[in-house]
Amino acid sequence: MSTDATASTAGRRQRPRSTQNQGTRHRRVAFGAGLPWIIPAVVLVVGMIYFSIADTIHVSTLDWNGFILSPSRFVGWDNYSRMFQDPVFWLAIWHTGVFFVTTFVVQTLIGFTFAALMHSKVVLAPLYKVIIFIPTVLAPATMAPVFRHIFDAKGDFNAILSAVGLDWLAQPWLAGDVTAMLVVMVATVWQWTGLTFILYYAAMSQIETEILEAARIDGSSNFRTLLAIVWPLCRPTTVALATLGIIGALKTFDVPYLVTKAGPNHATEFLGTYIYQTMVQQKHFGYAAAISIALLILAIVGGVVMRRPRREKEGS
Amino acid sequence: MFDTRSLLSRIGIQLLATLIAVPYLLPLLAMVHGSFAGAGIGNYAKVFATGVVPTYFANSLLISASSIALVYVSAMLGAFGFAKLRIRGKEVWFWVLLVALTMPEAVLLTPLFVTASTFDLYNELIAVILPLAALQVPFAILLARSFFEGVPSELIEAGRIDGANVVQIFWFLMLPLTRPIAGAIVVLTLINSWNAYLLPMLMLNDPSKQVVTLLPSFFTSQYTNDQTGVLAAAVITAVPVIAAYLLLQRTFERGLAAGALK
Repeated sequence: MSTDATASTAGRRQRPRSTQNQGTRHRRVAFGAGLPWIIPAVVLVVGMIYFSIADTIHVSTLDWNGFILSPSRFVGWDNYSRMFQDPVFWLAIWHTGVFFVTTFVVQTLIGFTFAALMHSKVVLAPLYKVIIFIPTVLAPATMAPVFRHIFDAKGDFNAILSAVGLDWLAQPWLAGDVTAMLVVMVATVWQWTGLTFILYYAAMSQIETEILEAARIDGSSNFRTLLAIVWPLCRPTTVALATLGIIGALKTFDVPYLVTKAGPNHATEFLGTYIYQTMVQQKHFGYAAAISIALLILAIVGGVVMRRPRREKEGS
Repeated sequence: MFDTRSLLSRIGIQLLATLIAVPYLLPLLAMVHGSFAGAGIGNYAKVFATGVVPTYFANSLLISASSIALVYVSAMLGAFGFAKLRIRGKEVWFWVLLVALTMPEAVLLTPLFVTASTFDLYNELIAVILPLAALQVPFAILLARSFFEGVPSELIEAGRIDGANVVQIFWFLMLPLTRPIAGAIVVLTLINSWNAYLLPMLMLNDPSKQVVTLLPSFFTSQYTNDQTGVLAAAVITAVPVIAAYLLLQRTFERGLAAGALK
């Protein structure tokens, strides 16, 4: 029961800052024991996720090929020191960063503009919205072969390029280092712009038309109104999308694995694909586990960033 | 947003919107067009002739339905507990769940694979259902908790005065109010479990246990990169999802938007 005691003091310490009971702080109507109610969720999460984390930490100290019957050898920090000296590991982190910044900027640009357009009087607007949103409900695994097909050396994209007289641009997109990464980014932007759009669209619905009218009367141009008034008002959405993007970039697996096979020569390697390859193809379970722990720490840091804007908002 | 008073600006806006939207349509057109290349409708016949399509769909349905049920039940119960009931160290428990919020699937690979082999759960759908649900629960609770907190406590007071116990209050007073948030949770869990690729690929090796997201890869391996078969398979897996979205457009858009913001 000692853990319970520490738990409750920690809970009390947190309470003044916490988000709970905003409306009911003065009248504590809480009644009945709540613990049984949260047990299913806690059991599921602790049983799957916390168990997995603990086990991954354990495996990360081993040299092991993953077969239950094969011997494993305790190697301590070896997997981690190997990781810090592994150029592919750093390459994967570099790719994650570049991938996040690029996809985030492009998606924001398109999503924000499109949301503003959909709030103007566009003919067939519902149809446009559906077109841009459909990709978000489709599985990346379903669309991956389509992007392979499009960006194949003999694919539709090169056909379009030569049709409009840009033959010199045509190339085997999946075979080049930079172009392969571009294809992975295009597939991702294609998939998630709909979500960016829908969030900006919702945020813009909250802006009072009087503000925009006033700006217009003052002679502000469309572009200026958008940049000086609408964009700052959408800042919470932008922050939420940025943090979502960081976590999404860290989780990236399906698209590079299926579209470019993380290649050519690690050119589209991400942490997820590298863990999978290390574990399933090379059978280095210990090393894969060490990279998983690094990924986990990065994701938690990203998650803390995600929670921050909420706190700030509630604090003010 | 944009000034649309002059004809010129209206045309400009329409053009810009079209210019943005068309590239989003092209991959879908390329998919459909490519799936009819060569043998035409025969490509689809070829996919169905493998006989695995109904199995894959049934497995995906089973996995999605079970994940939704698990997530819905544990999230609703948990969120009610967190929002309205007395729990010692409440915020610590909540924090325990929140840490799992950003968990990348890849972190679970090694332990799940090893555990599944140990307990002979490899190739069983449950080996995919449980982790998928566990990954979804923290977020569902976060969403549902803030929703329950928005329900006035006077309602609970009134229920208690009328002699209802906790279970009755939850069942008759609270649950009927949660429909909007339940819709978001169901849609999010559905999309995440139906579209899941990594866990099924790792855990389900037996062809009779595989899911729709593995259907295109089936053709890559089986017919050594048969592009038309792959694309026909992609269309077959995409059509039901697009149909579901078009039928429940509002629910999907709200669900995904809620999923991004909280």
